[in-house]
Amino acid sequence: MAETNSSEKFKHLSKLEKNILQCISCGDCRELTDNTLDPPNWGVCVAREHTTGFEPFFGRGKMQIIRSLWQGKLELSEDMANVIFQCPTCNACSKACYYGLNTVDYYEALRAELVDAGCALDVHNEMNQGLLENLNPYGQDNAQKKNWLDQLDFTVKDASSEPVEVLYFTGCTAALSAAVQPVAINTAKVLHKLGIDFGVLGGAEICCGSVAMRTGARQVFQEIAEKNAALFQKIGVKTIITSCAGCYRTLKIDYKDMLEGSGIEVMHTVEFLEKYLRENGIQLKNLGIHVTYHDPCHTGRHIGLYEPPRALLRQMATLTEMKNIKEHAKCCGAGGGVKKAFPQLALDIAKTRIQEAEETGADYIVSICPFCDRNLADAIQETGSAMQVKDLLELVEQALE
Amino acid sequence: MTEIQDALEEIESVVGSDYVTDKDFMKAAYSRNVDPAFPDRWADMIVRPSTTEEVSDIVKIANKYKIRMVPRGGGADLVGGSVTQGGILFDMTRMNHIVEVNADDFYCVVECGITWGALVSELHAKGLTTGVLGPGSGYSATIGGGLSNSTAGFGSTKYGLVPDICLGVEVVLPNPEGTILQTGVAANKYAKPFARYGVTPDFTGLFMGDVGTMGIKTKAFLRLAPLPPLRALRYYMLIKNDYNMVSKLLKQLRDKVGDGISDILVIPYPVVRIQAGIAKNKPAKKSRLTGSVFMIGFEAFDQRIIDVYLEQVEEIMTKDGICRSFEMHEIDLDEPLTTDWQFNLKMAFNYFNRFISIVPDMISCTTCHKIPISYIAEAEKKSHDFDAKFHSEFPNKSLSLFATVIYALPNGNCVFVGGFNGYNTEDQQPIAMNLWHKKLRAQVHYGGAHYWLGESISQSIVEAGAYSPEFAAFFKDAKKMVDPNFLLSPEKFHMHQYDEPLSKYEVEDEPY
Repeated sequence: MAETNSSEKFKHLSKLEKNILQCISCGDCRELTDNTLDPPNWGVCVAREHTTGFEPFFGRGKMQIIRSLWQGKLELSEDMANVIFQCPTCNACSKACYYGLNTVDYYEALRAELVDAGCALDVHNEMNQGLLENLNPYGQDNAQKKNWLDQLDFTVKDASSEPVEVLYFTGCTAALSAAVQPVAINTAKVLHKLGIDFGVLGGAEICCGSVAMRTGARQVFQEIAEKNAALFQKIGVKTIITSCAGCYRTLKIDYKDMLEGSGIEVMHTVEFLEKYLRENGIQLKNLGIHVTYHDPCHTGRHIGLYEPPRALLRQMATLTEMKNIKEHAKCCGAGGGVKKAFPQLALDIAKTRIQEAEETGADYIVSICPFCDRNLADAIQETGSAMQVKDLLELVEQALE
Repeated sequence: MTEIQDALEEIESVVGSDYVTDKDFMKAAYSRNVDPAFPDRWADMIVRPSTTEEVSDIVKIANKYKIRMVPRGGGADLVGGSVTQGGILFDMTRMNHIVEVNADDFYCVVECGITWGALVSELHAKGLTTGVLGPGSGYSATIGGGLSNSTAGFGSTKYGLVPDICLGVEVVLPNPEGTILQTGVAANKYAKPFARYGVTPDFTGLFMGDVGTMGIKTKAFLRLAPLPPLRALRYYMLIKNDYNMVSKLLKQLRDKVGDGISDILVIPYPVVRIQAGIAKNKPAKKSRLTGSVFMIGFEAFDQRIIDVYLEQVEEIMTKDGICRSFEMHEIDLDEPLTTDWQFNLKMAFNYFNRFISIVPDMISCTTCHKIPISYIAEAEKKSHDFDAKFHSEFPNKSLSLFATVIYALPNGNCVFVGGFNGYNTEDQQPIAMNLWHKKLRAQVHYGGAHYWLGESISQSIVEAGAYSPEFAAFFKDAKKMVDPNFLLSPEKFHMHQYDEPLSKYEVEDEPY
């Protein structure tokens, strides 16, 4: 039986063996347009919308490729990889699936098979190799991760040497990218203003490994994740917060087995703050601005964190929702290694999202993911839109009396 | 392979190299649809044309090199209709534009690759509707696919089948000239496509339910209706499981309520029990299930009219204690109460998906067909007799349902939406395929009218000897007129070549 050999041949897909044949190929993962729903749902797959649109660019085609591989009818190839990696793994197709197949699990397993077969994209290979060497995917000296702390007028505890109640896991993008550092700075300012006992790892912080996991480099991910899990357990932290949607998904879902029994709770900073402010009766100041909110895929569809950011925004601003929100929200296009390997595709997808944001009449598009922030800002620059991107933490910092 | 390569290069010059591919992983992605019983079929190339003229040019190239062609819409069919072993597979979903919505004269012009979900969503926002909302797979099914398969779906009880709303098509004939035609009154080159009949014989009908054998539809002209703003839904459960009573009630509803009802779906008793069993959110107290459930949808422009319809239906259904009011909420807490129910397309377009793979990795071999409503009990019995007689030939653990739903259509007929499920693996496919054909032939023999023909059902009709020699000759002559090189969708209807009688494929079946 071909399937028996496949179990040995495809070690990543074999973990999903039970449901590989369940995709009925209905194609609802292609567009599923329905304005009679509340919220309405216009289209599903941003990758299909911005590519040539052949079936492998959306869910059903990928699932048929996986089935064909599994049944021994097809071989992995670089051509295949070039298409399979043009997907931001936003998981919209999963939400469209009547049978609830968690499609991203299959795509990531297929990516892992491609990587193991030597079909990875060169740019991803370089990035993941650099991640192992530098402990961040940006090819920078990891010690620089502490530099943003110099911009604060207070001291933040070093969680690697002092006990803290809350570890703020900064993430590589906010720590190392000058344009996105305000996310880290504002997060720290907010925590400081609220008197929360928190610390950071600074130069000792290791990338969460999201980029490796998303691009199929599972060996790299495993190595990185094990280092992190050991570090978290060593410092004895019980609550980890992060202002990065990618780190959040990775630490909460991909580390689940490794952190099991450790008692560590992983929260997005926004989730943590909304709860904290609510429980302590702290009201945010209304900033008198008009905003719309972009749900990052990793906080939204991957985990279901929809209401806390909106609850905070409604206190601070007038919130007008876009046409596609929550589980139907359109991806910004940056995730899944797309920004790295296919920057134009990422930009094209983001431009569509900005257009949708403009239709609300809002002045600001707010999000809670440095990676989304960056890609959306690139699209604004490209299109000359008057809209501005704000990270929610920046607004919270301004709105805390 | 040289000819295929030459053709590929010429097609590249028509659509651009980005929109035609012969890569293996692409072919694999297009190698099957929902159907479980067919082996994978790999086209030689897949092309995504964007205009009617491009389709015509590709047809000319296919004729030049004598390469077979199959058009594919949403690829959501269950009967092997839109795959091809070798040849050119047309992925029509790039032709997905709404060309015109004429709200004054109630028609629209669309490219055939647009999905029902996209079109209906757009129309509803404008207060318009196609009435029949396309097939149950409508989120992903295209207008072209709906026309080529003469499908029914939500709204069909009132508005009829998909071809009933078709005012004409633009079609590319598969001949060496790649002829482009417009049918309906649009055959008058001075006329807008506002009506179907007039100007010529009804050549539109030649392309309805043709499963892509007579031409490649590129545009459709569709009748529109104002969208009734008010809707209601009611369920009734039969106190006794009696299919003769189902027929009687369907007739009474037709007699006394008529157009107030947009949909009547009868969920057979066994299916009601299955739904209760697979419900994710079951109530603590089990509901007493006694018979089939009528799901009745209403629509109107005035609340008073809806109220009259509701009263009339209540009287018919509950008279003499034949039925009781029922709520799906009684078996599945995720289902809304009818008083809270609001129409959305998700319900219309996801309703049938639940039955396609009730058991993971088994997929339905569909046997959907129409019968007169007076024949429901007899057809149900025949289906059971067939299943009992050929029990040993079914795939292991297969679940056979004479109908997952009985869907009422206008003029006293209904669809038995049914089938049995088979495994999605190569070793099991022949088992399912043999039994599938046999069951379809049995349904043809009792007078069932299949409409969603694809390859498996169209061939089964021929195998059952349904066509007289005169009809078969007429059919072939018509096909030969539009497709002299016999390139478009071969295999369907067992038309493998022109000089072969269809009677060659007739199968003598064991009585049951």
